Amino acid sequence: MKDDKNVRDEKDQLDEERPHDAMGTARRLWQAAGRQRWRLVVAAVSAIVYVAASLGAAVYSAHVVDVLWEHIQQSFAVGEAYVVGLENGGREVLIYLGIWTCAWAFYSVQSLVMSSFAERLNLALRKEISAKLGRLPLSYFDAHQPGDTISRATNDLDKVSEVLQRGLLQLIIAFTTLVGAIVLMLVSNPLLALVFCGFAALSVAVTKFAASRTLEAAAARQEALGHLTESVEEAYSGRTVIKAFGLEDASLEAVESRADKVATTSARADFLTNAISPVIRFLMRLSQVAIGLAAGALVAGGQMSVGAFLAFFQYVTQASEPLTQLSLTVNMLQGALAAAERVFALLDAPEVSPDPEVPAKLPQPVRGRVAFGHVRFGYSPEALLMRDVSLVAEPGEKVAIVGATGAGKTTLINLLMRFYEVDGGRITLDGVDTRQLRRRDLRREFGMVLQDAWLFEGTIAENIAYGRPGATREEVEAAARAAHVDFFVRTLPHGYDTLLTDGGENVSQGQRQLLTIARAMLTDPAMLILDEATSSVDTRTEQAIVRAMEAIMENRTSFVIAHRLSTIVDADLILVMDHGNIIEQGTHESLLAKGGAYATLYRSQFA
Amino acid sequence: MAAQRDYSRRASWRVLTQLVRPHWRLAVAACALLLADIVGMLLIPTQLSALVNVAVGTRNTTELTSHGVAMLVAAVVGSGGCVASYYVASRLAAYVGRDLRVAVYKKSLALSGADFNSFGMGSMITRTLSDANVVQQTLLMTFMMVFPVPVTCVVSIVLAYGIDPVMGRMLLVITIAMLAISGVAVAKSTPIFMAMQGFVDRMNSRLREVVTGTRVIRAFGKEERERGRLDETFEDYATNAIRVNMLFSIVDCSTFFLMNVVEVLVMWMGADRVGAGAMQIGSISALLEYAMLILFFMMMAQFAIIQVPRALSCLTRTAAVLEAVPSVADPESPKCLAAPAGPRPGDEVARFSHASFRFADADEDTLHDLDFSVRRGEVTAIMGNTGSGKSTVAKMLLRFHDVTAGSLLMLGTDVREVTQQELRSRIAYVPQQAWLFSGTIAENLREGDASTTDEDLWHALDVAQASFVHELPDGLSTRVAQGGANFSGGQRQRLAIARALVRHADLYVFDDSFSALDYKTDAALRHALEGELANEAVVIIAQRVSTVRHAAQIVVLDDGRVVGRGTHDQLMETCPAYRDIVESQTRGGATADEGR
Repeated sequence: MKDDKNVRDEKDQLDEERPHDAMGTARRLWQAAGRQRWRLVVAAVSAIVYVAASLGAAVYSAHVVDVLWEHIQQSFAVGEAYVVGLENGGREVLIYLGIWTCAWAFYSVQSLVMSSFAERLNLALRKEISAKLGRLPLSYFDAHQPGDTISRATNDLDKVSEVLQRGLLQLIIAFTTLVGAIVLMLVSNPLLALVFCGFAALSVAVTKFAASRTLEAAAARQEALGHLTESVEEAYSGRTVIKAFGLEDASLEAVESRADKVATTSARADFLTNAISPVIRFLMRLSQVAIGLAAGALVAGGQMSVGAFLAFFQYVTQASEPLTQLSLTVNMLQGALAAAERVFALLDAPEVSPDPEVPAKLPQPVRGRVAFGHVRFGYSPEALLMRDVSLVAEPGEKVAIVGATGAGKTTLINLLMRFYEVDGGRITLDGVDTRQLRRRDLRREFGMVLQDAWLFEGTIAENIAYGRPGATREEVEAAARAAHVDFFVRTLPHGYDTLLTDGGENVSQGQRQLLTIARAMLTDPAMLILDEATSSVDTRTEQAIVRAMEAIMENRTSFVIAHRLSTIVDADLILVMDHGNIIEQGTHESLLAKGGAYATLYRSQFA
Repeated sequence: MAAQRDYSRRASWRVLTQLVRPHWRLAVAACALLLADIVGMLLIPTQLSALVNVAVGTRNTTELTSHGVAMLVAAVVGSGGCVASYYVASRLAAYVGRDLRVAVYKKSLALSGADFNSFGMGSMITRTLSDANVVQQTLLMTFMMVFPVPVTCVVSIVLAYGIDPVMGRMLLVITIAMLAISGVAVAKSTPIFMAMQGFVDRMNSRLREVVTGTRVIRAFGKEERERGRLDETFEDYATNAIRVNMLFSIVDCSTFFLMNVVEVLVMWMGADRVGAGAMQIGSISALLEYAMLILFFMMMAQFAIIQVPRALSCLTRTAAVLEAVPSVADPESPKCLAAPAGPRPGDEVARFSHASFRFADADEDTLHDLDFSVRRGEVTAIMGNTGSGKSTVAKMLLRFHDVTAGSLLMLGTDVREVTQQELRSRIAYVPQQAWLFSGTIAENLREGDASTTDEDLWHALDVAQASFVHELPDGLSTRVAQGGANFSGGQRQRLAIARALVRHADLYVFDDSFSALDYKTDAALRHALEGELANEAVVIIAQRVSTVRHAAQIVVLDDGRVVGRGTHDQLMETCPAYRDIVESQTRGGATADEGR
């Protein structure tokens, strides 16, 4: 499992930054923007007007300086001190301010209009995802790491919004500025413009070269971080062994050497990422020096005005920034499109088949007779797990399922609850084929307690009442009492109103398990599914859980996945599973007498 | 509350200074290089304006060239300084990050199990890895984006004074005004930005809830409710994100506007000063450039500063680990354990002397008044129902917990008077949950004793009934996945037993290590151990009666108290609790124990 994940991570890193179908993805994003599209249009137009105005301001600045210089020289010629007034250059300065204010206004429009565009688009996509999560088959969740799905809804969309927020317009602004500035340079002085273009070409080449190096360095850092994470996680899990065998120094050394590797690679990655800008800036400065010398000579020779000289420098400055931005933004844009593709892949994933148009109704009251008839099933079509499984659970019976990990115990439950659909044969509940029922109607009849004690962030009372939101506090408490968790809840400072948080440090794993039993109890289902949860629980709580489970199983058809055989000795039917099939079934006594797989298993636990 | 926050803040700073101190040379170098960067950067417009002044004034080609060369030098010094300072700062931050990770990890080794669990494993991993990462990145960002602000301000104003004192004063006033505005902007936006983190966390945790809880959600038919809850979080996030973006936009636009005003102000005033003959026309552009650079760096700094509080809370979290006081600690001047001269069966190895243990937050003793000896050549079995405190006995022997009353002696010395390493070097331990490390089987076994020959490893494996290793194609070099996940529970357990046997110890502790083994293996293993550990003390913690039946001494625990001690036969006579256990294990499986 772990290895699979790492392999995928590495592959992802190579794939991650490149979209497969850039145009198609862009078009889909445009469609997803819906009524927000006007913002993009307004912003793009504003951005272009802004660039035009700011270039205009640069052109005009030459004129302003020339006018000022002229007036100053005139004043000096007559031996007077010069003071700026509206008539001798001040007007031009104010007009210059006016042009910049105009540029500012358009800049502000695009910035403010876009400030909500990306997040609104993201919200629309996120809502699509939340609806999708309710329609994806269980197989999707079983095949994908939770982190992978979560990251599509969060990180990937954040990448998209980051680019839409700033990147896209930066791209427009950078591009038009660069083109405009170069045109202005060419008009002003073609020779100097060529000098600039030479340096510009050089800096683009440098950026491209550096960008690929940066990517490599980032991948190396990621790998080093992965190794470190592995060893820290492993060491924390096995810290008892480390301490018992006095391996502290060795493990510290191992962690140190991996942390050292992280330090080296991350210093390199950080350096490369950050060093691009100053290097490009250096090239631009070199171009400024070259242009400054050449232009200075021109001004000295009288072939260029001071104003034109300064204005040319403004063009150079204005064109320099976007040059660095352009290549970086293109990378970002690609990354964002690739991220958007991952989001769309989630949204396009196949969904569960729709419920039948005319669903069957279960005869009320539900008695709880469950029958599997020649069920065939495989998680993938080419690897069949269950070939021919048949069983009958009579109303009120306790059915225990035993077998090694991977024997198919959970699969049986998956099929019963229609988390997965059978490939052949049929499962009936009180004689009705479960496929003819609406999934909700079927599942409503089952109470389920799983090994992984899933609770949501809310109060204890809300969690217990999950299946019956209208339940009164008395009913909630009664369920808790039946699950032997009432006393514990009362010892908490806020009792039933205690908030269960993600970390859940105030409530242990075992107690969470008891709460899930109370939750199942409150819905008073006709049938029960219990996955015995004993792995991460201390022994005392384990006993409490077993007791609570015993209580809840009274008079209900129940399916118990048993890990400790002592709890199922009294089962009405024991199914022994191996490689997806039921190899033995019967009662404890009959199976022991038979001396087969169950007998061996039992002896291994109770010798 | 406030006092505690103050304390944790002080602790964070203390940790930070401790982390940076060993690398002070790098820190000084980075600052010096940064200074070179900024001076070089600001000298370029200075030289450029001088060049313009020459071009319009004396038109002396030599002077022109000399200013050109000066510009070139400034560019080289500036950019060189910048690149070099980034290089040094990246290293500095990376070293600080590394030292922080290693320090937290090192501390984790010193913490007792209870200390560690009070932080929680997930939280410890976060603190060791991602918190340290945030600290590292923020340190670097602060250096690159915040430090330049004061330097740029000071150098610019000094240079401006050099051009013309009046313009210098003007730049000073502008700088102070802009600093004030930035300060307000940062103060206003930081809480909103911090609140953002809360929305991000909630979005993540609710998504995790839905993705990991699909089975339960569907079993209860709650798809619509979960969708509503998710949408609600998404909406809250979007609303707040838009607010943050608006805020950034406004700051961005205001800065832009300020730049315009400043530029025109400099032009106007500059022209006046040129007119008054106080400076030359070209210097206007230099002054303009100074003002723009100050504004630029301030804006960058704003974006960096609002992220600092997050890094501070990460630092505080790691500081909490680093400043934690381990509840089990080595003594100031440790004694040495006596090397047993000519050990003989029957010698006392460990002794519980009225020892009790109680968890810090508990009202009752987990173990109460334990009083018995563990002797060489004997098997001491600890029996009891689940929750009776059996495993705690093993943890006390290894000093994972300290007695809270009475004492525990190892080879005649109180375990608290020797180092933990020394104590544990005399014990071989098989934990309840057999954990193997990723590597090879041989590497795992040699954790018991690094100098063991292959031959001895095979011997240990044979005693531990781990003959399946012979059948593996790679034998001792077979890869072990993390935790030993590629082996079955029983195989893992036997490998863990072999690992303990490789160690030459005075005391062997098997903590419920036989329960994952089948009956036949269990018996064979016990038989093999008898011969192997004839001269050592053995403690077996077990649930099965058959495992302990032949022990020289069985200690029966009930609710942390010793309710019986003796051989199987004695206890059957005298100890009702023991009889109960025996009966409960034979009931329903009467055939299981026959013939033994």
